[in-house]
Amino acid sequence: MAPTTSKRVRNTVVRRHFIIGNEAHVLPHPSYPDPPPDGHTKGWKVFVRPLPNGPDITTWLKKVQFKLHHTYTDASRTIEAPGPFEVLETGYGEFGVEIRLYFASESGEKAVYREHYLVLAPYGSDEQKAKQEQDNLVVAEKLETVEFNEPTTDFFKTLTSEDQFNWLKVKKGRGKGKKPDFVFEGEVEPSAELAEKPFTGVSGVGAGAGGAWSKVYEDQVLRGLAQSAASLEQAVEEERRVMEGRRKRMEELGVAVGAK
Amino acid sequence: MATGSDIRAALASDFTPTVDPLRAAPTPTAARATPNQPRTRQPRLHKKPALRNRGRAAHWTYDTSTPPTRRDRLQVRQWRRAAPSADSTDVEPPASKFAKYDVKAEAPSYDDETYAQHLNHPDWTKEETDLLFAAYEECNGKWPVVVDHYETSTHRSMEELKSRLYSISATLLNLQTPMTAMTASEYSTYEVLKSFDPLKEASRKKLAEGHLRRPRNEVDEETVLLSELQRIMLHQQTLDSEREDLRRRLQHPVADQNGYQYSTSQALTTLWQQLLAADRAKKTQRLRPLEISGSRPSQSAASIADATSATPQTAQAVDMSKQDLLRFGVVQAQEKLPTGISFASDKLSKPRVAKSSLQTDKIAATLAHIGVPELIPLPTPAVVEQFERIMAKMQTLLDLRKVAEKEEQELRVRSAELGV
Repeated sequence: MAPTTSKRVRNTVVRRHFIIGNEAHVLPHPSYPDPPPDGHTKGWKVFVRPLPNGPDITTWLKKVQFKLHHTYTDASRTIEAPGPFEVLETGYGEFGVEIRLYFASESGEKAVYREHYLVLAPYGSDEQKAKQEQDNLVVAEKLETVEFNEPTTDFFKTLTSEDQFNWLKVKKGRGKGKKPDFVFEGEVEPSAELAEKPFTGVSGVGAGAGGAWSKVYEDQVLRGLAQSAASLEQAVEEERRVMEGRRKRMEELGVAVGAK
Repeated sequence: MATGSDIRAALASDFTPTVDPLRAAPTPTAARATPNQPRTRQPRLHKKPALRNRGRAAHWTYDTSTPPTRRDRLQVRQWRRAAPSADSTDVEPPASKFAKYDVKAEAPSYDDETYAQHLNHPDWTKEETDLLFAAYEECNGKWPVVVDHYETSTHRSMEELKSRLYSISATLLNLQTPMTAMTASEYSTYEVLKSFDPLKEASRKKLAEGHLRRPRNEVDEETVLLSELQRIMLHQQTLDSEREDLRRRLQHPVADQNGYQYSTSQALTTLWQQLLAADRAKKTQRLRPLEISGSRPSQSAASIADATSATPQTAQAVDMSKQDLLRFGVVQAQEKLPTGISFASDKLSKPRVAKSSLQTDKIAATLAHIGVPELIPLPTPAVVEQFERIMAKMQTLLDLRKVAEKEEQELRVRSAELGV
């Protein structure tokens, strides 16, 4: 029986950004077994990652289960904390990977399913495609935001403790017996929010490591949306004008009918 | 099926068929089964009474006579019953039973003077008019016959003949007894005569003919259209109100009340509750109970701005510095929160799907048209808010377009009506 729900923190939402995505390479590639199995042309890795400057994802995510295509042996791959939540495989076809996220027990929440479509072939504009082919790296990522609505008090505590940022910090010992001092030495201040600018992530270059997720990108997206909103406004105005014209015509016709 | 007697007859040829009390009459098969034997008739079970003369036979005569209604002295031989009892009611020859249907049509007559004075008409010569009147009298006023009878060089339709005769009758009636002196019935006759419109009559007859010769599918189509029309008429009320609603939404609403009664925060909250309750009653909710910023009533903005900031926030169970809140991604939310876990990217994808696939397609097309990408990989709160605003506007646009279609249709129908 589930324990009685502990008290919940009212009117609060804790947001955590994380990245669900995949990388794909054309084989042969150093990360993947050589020679590749018969018929497999691409090697790929599907992952669930935290933001490179964000708090530790294992605070709230304890286990991830990747459900691959049924033609794979052991189609259900489960990765537990702390290991990087990724699955490396080779293949030739794109399919939807069902990802099941198991939350920390103190949250008292059930597991949730997200779907990610595995992209293996180059996509996007011609420039982007060319770059992907050149680097032999296709990355398809999405920033997901999980919102914990009215979390339990225990969960809230873990989510707001400073320890979450320890994985980014470097231990600087102060001698024996004393608690090590954690000092952050990276470029960007750790925060649950998006970084101000794109930066090279902890584990590598730009795109694949999630460093591209920044406020700069957010501004880009916002600007695009603002433009769309403006053109939508125009369309609405247009419709309204036409409607006015129609109303006048209706009135005229009404008069004409009455006169008849 | 072989009956018992058949079998007996077949087995024993000299077996004489006896009367079977269960069967009244001899069956033909039984008779035929014995071809060598003579047919013997079965006696009747019941007795018919012998014929009797019930009464005196009526006396009929076979004579020639002329039907009274004919003019051409035709001799017709008919069997006619002589008076069965001499004192009965008048015996009329059968032919004259129909004499009552010999209705003479009364057409007014005129002389040359009156004609020259009042009845002249550019299309009609005097000979034609006289011929028309003669034909009318002869054919007893039956117009189909009159049309056939009336033969001149110019072919005239029934409506033309009718209109000519009626107009002449009207004028003559008017001459006889001026309008002021006419009795009610005379006046009504006059009116009817005057109001004969040949064109309308012709079109009416064509319409009736068309109705007669309608093919099956047209009849079905017409019933469908009629039912749809009925539905439209029934819902006219609701459609109009919806349209008005839409127009009001687009326009800046005009304040009809003094806004100062809502300057206290308490009054404002009550106002907000009222609006929320009213909105809940509507079919599609436009107000979101979450953010107070979306509830701006149409009164003086200044007083409202003060009041909303004064509205007390719900008690915070958490005491953290603002910076810490940001660092840990804690957000103090306003009113309704969904329970459990939710994903922000859903807010970017779920509004795009509508109840019917047609609507979904329309939404997708509109979004593509204004340049919103299909996949927005960054669901931060700012992006989500912007997107929600766009979706709300788009709903309005789609509603506008729907109403536009309906109105266009109506306009087309009405202008077509007028054009006819």
